Amino acid sequence: MRNLISLLIVMFISLSSIYAGGPWPQSKGKAYVKLSEWWTIFDKHYTDSGQTDPNLTTGIFNTSLYAEYGITNRLTTVINAPLFSRNYMNNLRSQTTNEVIVEGESINTIGDIDLGFKYGLTKPGANIPISVSLTLGLPTGNVSGGKLGNLQTSDGEFNQILQIDAGTGFKLLGHSAYTSLYTGFNHRTNGFSEEFRWGVEFGIGLFNDKLWLNTKLNAVESLKNGDTAETITSTSLFANNSEFTSVAFEANVYLTSKFGVSASIAGAVRGEIIAAASSYNVGIFYDFN
Amino acid sequence: MNRYNIFLAIIWLSSLCYMTACIEDDFVQDEVDAELRITNTIDSLEIGSDFQLESIYLNNIGSVEQVVITWTSSASDILAVDAQGLIMALSEGTATITATFQDGDLTLSDSRTISITSIPVAPPVFNSTNGTIVTTSSYILTGDFEYIETETGVQLNFSDNYSASTSLPGLFIYLSNNNNSINNALEIGGVDVFNGAHGYDISGVGFNDYRYIIYFCKPFNIKVGEGEL
Repeated sequence: MRNLISLLIVMFISLSSIYAGGPWPQSKGKAYVKLSEWWTIFDKHYTDSGQTDPNLTTGIFNTSLYAEYGITNRLTTVINAPLFSRNYMNNLRSQTTNEVIVEGESINTIGDIDLGFKYGLTKPGANIPISVSLTLGLPTGNVSGGKLGNLQTSDGEFNQILQIDAGTGFKLLGHSAYTSLYTGFNHRTNGFSEEFRWGVEFGIGLFNDKLWLNTKLNAVESLKNGDTAETITSTSLFANNSEFTSVAFEANVYLTSKFGVSASIAGAVRGEIIAAASSYNVGIFYDFN
Repeated sequence: MNRYNIFLAIIWLSSLCYMTACIEDDFVQDEVDAELRITNTIDSLEIGSDFQLESIYLNNIGSVEQVVITWTSSASDILAVDAQGLIMALSEGTATITATFQDGDLTLSDSRTISITSIPVAPPVFNSTNGTIVTTSSYILTGDFEYIETETGVQLNFSDNYSASTSLPGLFIYLSNNNNSINNALEIGGVDVFNGAHGYDISGVGFNDYRYIIYFCKPFNIKVGEGEL
């Protein structure tokens, strides 16, 4: 199951843009919690040559709980749990007879859970905080759903992402602002290719920091050292050797000092073996800081 | 707006998302010209012997449909044919056998010219044809092939120049009478050779039963390559 659109990566495009994230660990005993709805519907994908080809319309929906908790002032634990994940494909019908050629189907289940730890290498309050994190992607979702086994909410492999983040906060035209960047390496099991990841983010707070706008550039480069269709036969939706560069835009509105809502849109501007469509996310968050 | 209302709004929005996640319909343009095809033929027949001709009618999506066929001979004194397509060699000469299907204004036919001789006829030579697979996507998929009739069916052999992208997921190969659809096509199997010469033995298939080779990506549910037989 190495060979199709990497839904995992599509999810990552969006999730990474909505994380509290960055190089800033939570303070001891403090937390950040977010409940969100993420979705994408796509009828084309980037092929291995970087061009886009059509595919049967496919939709993926995730209702996820994301939380960060400060174990110490430097060590934060992070969890991202797609509590409900839906994957569906449309019917394929004859335009001539209206006969169903391939029957559409769907699965509803839990997705893959990410469990992580972030450690601040610099002291809290540093001008340029730097942190390292380890994220474990647990294959808790369904790896083979539907009659043909080509619907999944999991790739069935164990991700181990080691990442380093750095950033800084500053004033821009009298507004609070920040920028951060990260780079990481994803070691994957079950014949999946390893990945090099990097990204940069810029955010600015407006209206006395009630509204935060940010934009993020993410990239995943596959080392292409895993299985291919030549070495394994599968009809899986989860892909191997996927890579992309994506842009995300996000808005967070604090309705109170701790509680707020967020919305984001993300999409790949370049990719290989990945869905060619925007993904969306709306959510509510509570910041215990 | 208090937190409770915001929470309800999120739940409502989530529900809306899932409601729009219903399975809908995608359509494939699969109309082709209907066709009547004589599927087994001989070039010559010895006087006094007979042979059963067979035909198929393929409708406007390339599916086999049972219809009433009319069989005629251009020279019944040389080669007679009955209503079921059984031909009987009566005297020396040449005759053309025609199968016809008529439905309103639509008339389809297929013909074969057969020589009748007084000497024993050599066993029929197995048919074969050559072609090239071409990609219909942006994935690499190319190669020459030979399609050969055998005693038990057909053999599809690809040449050394065959190449398919190893990124192609869930790739399957079919024989079809519609080059846009796998509806009613024969699934040969999953592709596990992506470079170089290889072949498939397909039993129970007549040489003229299908017109196209189709490569189909199952997870995407899309045709990615084709070849004409």
